[in-house]
Amino acid sequence: MIGTGIKRGTAELAVLSVLEDGPLHGYEMARRIEGQTRGALRFTLASLYPLLYKLEKRGWVRGAWETGATGRRRRCYRLTAQGKKKLTPIRKEWAELFRALRRLTKVSNA
Amino acid sequence: MLDWEALVREKLAGNSLEGEELREVAEELAGHLEETFAQLRREGLSEEAAAERALSEAKDWRSLRRRIQIARHKEDVMTARVKQVWLPGFLTLFLSLMLLMGIQFIGAKPFVVSPHGWRVMAPMAVIYVPWLLCLLPIGAMGAYLSVRAGASRGGTFVSTLFPVLPYCVFFMVGFPVCVILDDHVAHNVVLSALWVGLIAWVVLPATALLAGAFPVRVLKSRCAASA
Repeated sequence: MIGTGIKRGTAELAVLSVLEDGPLHGYEMARRIEGQTRGALRFTLASLYPLLYKLEKRGWVRGAWETGATGRRRRCYRLTAQGKKKLTPIRKEWAELFRALRRLTKVSNA
Repeated sequence: MLDWEALVREKLAGNSLEGEELREVAEELAGHLEETFAQLRREGLSEEAAAERALSEAKDWRSLRRRIQIARHKEDVMTARVKQVWLPGFLTLFLSLMLLMGIQFIGAKPFVVSPHGWRVMAPMAVIYVPWLLCLLPIGAMGAYLSVRAGASRGGTFVSTLFPVLPYCVFFMVGFPVCVILDDHVAHNVVLSALWVGLIAWVVLPATALLAGAFPVRVLKSRCAASA
């Protein structure tokens, strides 16, 4: 399991990356991140929504209410053009960090 | 059956979120909790245990409430206002004051001699005119930083004119008070000095700052229109 400090730093990247594949609502997003990282990253209500609201304020994601097949209203988030633009440098920064850590710690697959 | 929305609304009480916004946040969080609860039930947990586990997602409601409030309001207010007005404003004020000081110390110091052969002080214009000219790029820089941060016309105006605001307050408030209290203060302040001061330290510098800011504003508007 990854520590909270490291996870906090990766949160933006995780949310933006998962939204790159298409719009998702909060619960689905949390499940998708948990599934794709095989449980290493887990978003709870407390960690996900303040981040989503922050990203929405920055204009990186946009939330809109949608009614599903069950008639239930859900707020779906999609990546904005600005968010897509931000994702590239964030990815680059993390890739650089991973490479540096790999060199430093000699941990493979860091 | 738990009323998740009522529960979340109760937990979020005391938040600065109100009306429609509170209703939307409560509905969204309740939806998440309800789905978590349903999933846990499918996994075989009892209703009570599933509800408890779902609620534990919030960890600390007070902290969550505060973080939602910051995410939805404070960050925006802080960063936007600071970037659009305060930062460019204080930067232009700082630069204009530093330049005024710098010109006095390292600027031209002409050797002026009176008809009687005594050395006299150089006229004020020796310092004032170069300073006034320097305000053009300073105004342009303030406007650029402000416009780049997405400031409105009003925000750009305030941040550009920030260096003259302290003088303006002084001449509009401090000076008249001195005139009224003339008998009680040591300085012999006359009303005409107010107008001279206002023109020299407020009107002309403001004109120079705006003259520098204007092309930047126009260029940025054109760029935005063509984008």
